[in-house]
Amino acid sequence: MNTQPSRVLSPELWEQFRQGSRIACARLVSLLENRPDLHPEIRHRLFPLQRGAVRIGITGPPGVGKSTVTSALTRQARVAGHTLAVIAVDPTSPFSGGAFLGDRIRMQDHIGDPGVFIRSLASRDGHGGLSPATPYAAEVFDAFGMDWILIETVGVGQAELDVLNCVDIVILVLQPGTGDIIQALKAGIMEAGDIFLINKADQPGVDMVLDSLRFIFQMDAHRPGYVPPPLLTAAAHTGTGMSEVFETVEQVIAKFRREGRLREKRRQRLEQDIREYIQQELWHRYLQLTDAQPEITRVARELTDSGRSPFPYIEQLKSRIRMERNHDQES
Amino acid sequence: MSGKKIKVVLAKPGLDGHDRGVKVIARSLVEHGMEVVYLGLQQTPEAIVNAAIEEDADVIGLSVLSGSHMTQFKRVRELMLEHGIGDRLLTGGGIIPDKDRDRLVELGIGRLFGPGADIDEIANYIKEWAESRSAGTAET
Ligand SMILES: Nc1nc2c(ncn2[C@@H]2O[C@H](COP(=O)(O)OP(=O)(O)O)[C@@H](O)[C@H]2O)c(=O)[nH]1
Ligand SMILES: [Mg+2]
Repeated sequence: MNTQPSRVLSPELWEQFRQGSRIACARLVSLLENRPDLHPEIRHRLFPLQRGAVRIGITGPPGVGKSTVTSALTRQARVAGHTLAVIAVDPTSPFSGGAFLGDRIRMQDHIGDPGVFIRSLASRDGHGGLSPATPYAAEVFDAFGMDWILIETVGVGQAELDVLNCVDIVILVLQPGTGDIIQALKAGIMEAGDIFLINKADQPGVDMVLDSLRFIFQMDAHRPGYVPPPLLTAAAHTGTGMSEVFETVEQVIAKFRREGRLREKRRQRLEQDIREYIQQELWHRYLQLTDAQPEITRVARELTDSGRSPFPYIEQLKSRIRMERNHDQES
Repeated sequence: MSGKKIKVVLAKPGLDGHDRGVKVIARSLVEHGMEVVYLGLQQTPEAIVNAAIEEDADVIGLSVLSGSHMTQFKRVRELMLEHGIGDRLLTGGGIIPDKDRDRLVELGIGRLFGPGADIDEIANYIKEWAESRSAGTAET
């Protein structure tokens, strides 16, 4: 690495982290939230410690019981001997920049269990209800030795399904009366979940949700080799149905592993990671080389006033990049 | 460069049963730009300190109305020191007689607010504490 080791990342912090200090673990997550400049150094050091924890997204509309499901699933997984981290993401207020993080209220059963680590994250400036630090926090917990990482995010429409990019499997949680949301998702719903869970099955209206989901799954039934995703019901606040949910998650993980999908997901994430760092670097360098930022700001203002198309200017910038390249090659 | 936000773990320990007041405080702190982890009612000191560790909270805020403030604040403070997070702020409110207040402050507990306290004052106190702390350590 060409970056200078930072002072906040003391050797003691890493040593404590490796020894299992929860304070050090929590601190690393905070540094990834607050210090983008330290990302390369921290993530580089986490990589050799990671053992390939499975990342499970738990998403769905507000209030359907995602946190309750997460807690109940954690209990099942603990009984089976897995260690778990839970990352619970709640939205940042666009007005104040603050956030109310209330998911822990439903996750009280695991206090004092060293095999469970719960962390709330505010979405900050992330898109799709996901904190930008979420995948990095998952890397910390993987390196800390957790087997499963449950990531709870609020998701309603397709725009909020960014969580798909950073997890291995998704449990989409719905409840009786969420028919309109299913309508809204319709075409995208197949991609939205690997497991569909209707929670609050103790309440009336379960059959209606099940029917509308089955109806949507049927539209894909003609595709060769099509297998509809598991469709389950549970009452997470009492735990009813949760052992089936746990078993299904285990089965889906085993299937994805067999089919190479876990590996493929990881490859995609790494590729995206590389691309993003290079894009960032190129953009940064471009602005440095051409001192283009003030010009871009000025041109954008002129375009706003004139209502003209930006494309001639974009073409001009692109040809300038080509000239730079030719120039480099000649010298 | 640093996108640091003040993180507060807020809880109501003890047995008394409604959380309206502490939720009003939570909302106010959010409006002041803080990230507030709300734990809810009837939290044990162990649960509160455990949450503060996992959340890497800067501040623990307790609302104690049941008259058990001495034991609650003292126990949370003890556990903070025992677990190595004594550098975080423990503050809160309740109906606390002056002589108890003085004793708690001696134990390293921050300012304590009575039931009639101005809510913005609590937020401003936390902000000032966070500023003086980061000036001291030049950390994240
Ligand atoms: N009736 C019923 N209520 C539930 C069930 N699961 C969760 N709840 C309640 O639904 C509310 C929202 O739950 P929560 O887990 O916070 O939902 P989230 O916003 O999706 O994370 C809480 O009051 C829970 O107690 C369930 O299976 N049945
Ligand atoms: Mg929740």
